[in-house]
Amino acid sequence: MPRHNALAKEAAVTNVHEITIWTRGVVKDKEGRDVANGIAAAADQDGKFTQAFDNYVDLPDRVNVPLRKYARISDQEIEMRYDYENEKPEVVVVVDATIVKGINVLRGMQKGGVLVVNTDRSPDEILKFVPNRELLKAVVCVDATGIAGSATVDFSGTEGGVDAVGLGAGLAAPILGAFAKATQLVKLEKLAKVVKNKDALRRGHDSAVIQTLN
Amino acid sequence: MFNIPKGREVPFGCVTPAPVGEQPMMITGNWREYRPVIDEEKCNLCGNCVVFCPDACWQFNEADDAVVWNAKYCKGCLICVNECSHDALSKAYELDFPDGVVRLEKPF
Repeated sequence: MPRHNALAKEAAVTNVHEITIWTRGVVKDKEGRDVANGIAAAADQDGKFTQAFDNYVDLPDRVNVPLRKYARISDQEIEMRYDYENEKPEVVVVVDATIVKGINVLRGMQKGGVLVVNTDRSPDEILKFVPNRELLKAVVCVDATGIAGSATVDFSGTEGGVDAVGLGAGLAAPILGAFAKATQLVKLEKLAKVVKNKDALRRGHDSAVIQTLN
Repeated sequence: MFNIPKGREVPFGCVTPAPVGEQPMMITGNWREYRPVIDEEKCNLCGNCVVFCPDACWQFNEADDAVVWNAKYCKGCLICVNECSHDALSKAYELDFPDGVVRLEKPF
């Protein structure tokens, strides 16, 4: 989406950390949204400016369609309000591991990004399906399905409705724990304040396998 | 008679062969988490998988006397696994297979 020149200058000056979360429609939609909202809520506790939203072009929500959620964190107020996608993600979180096979999840990533994957396999096995791995600084694998059980299928909070179930009751908690371990963008203590399943959060944090590359 | 421009003729009775094609703008192979795996020994070519697949991803191959699976469009619904009459089909996790990588830049 072409930006107005003035906004482009603003965005260049303020350092906005973009996070893209890939997940599957309907069955893992709530999990993806929990990860985005959890990141934003935890960063908000730290006093940062945040945005967290679903991707619009991936709608309508169909079972198993790969779709994206976005989060943005910045120290200054985020000027990009009308960019509906994250063009340059710094961290890519994949809630369902098979998505790396079917989509170029690292598209737009600048060099030195991090890939977080929910899988019980090793980072090497995941990297087999990622041909542009030179963009990555680290790959993180966490077995969220093993820790937190199967996904919470819940429509609470879908497409702007009020979320009555709360954040992080399912797969999202271990993934957020692994995210905190791999990046410096949010802290585990702040995440523990917003996430429901704190035990799964800590187990995800402890059991995440980080492999640094390049 | 009628002056029909060349290239716009229609067969008698407007009977056209069934289109055999695909929609490359909507490749759905990356929707699946599990894929169906066939055990050729057990398959008796009943055709349940061909009939029940909502995406027509199982096709008869008369020459090889087998059913052929379409990796590009299979959504992994596993209806065929459920409907197989001789337990020839079972499900397998997609990451176990290096082939069948659809690999799109964007979801659609």
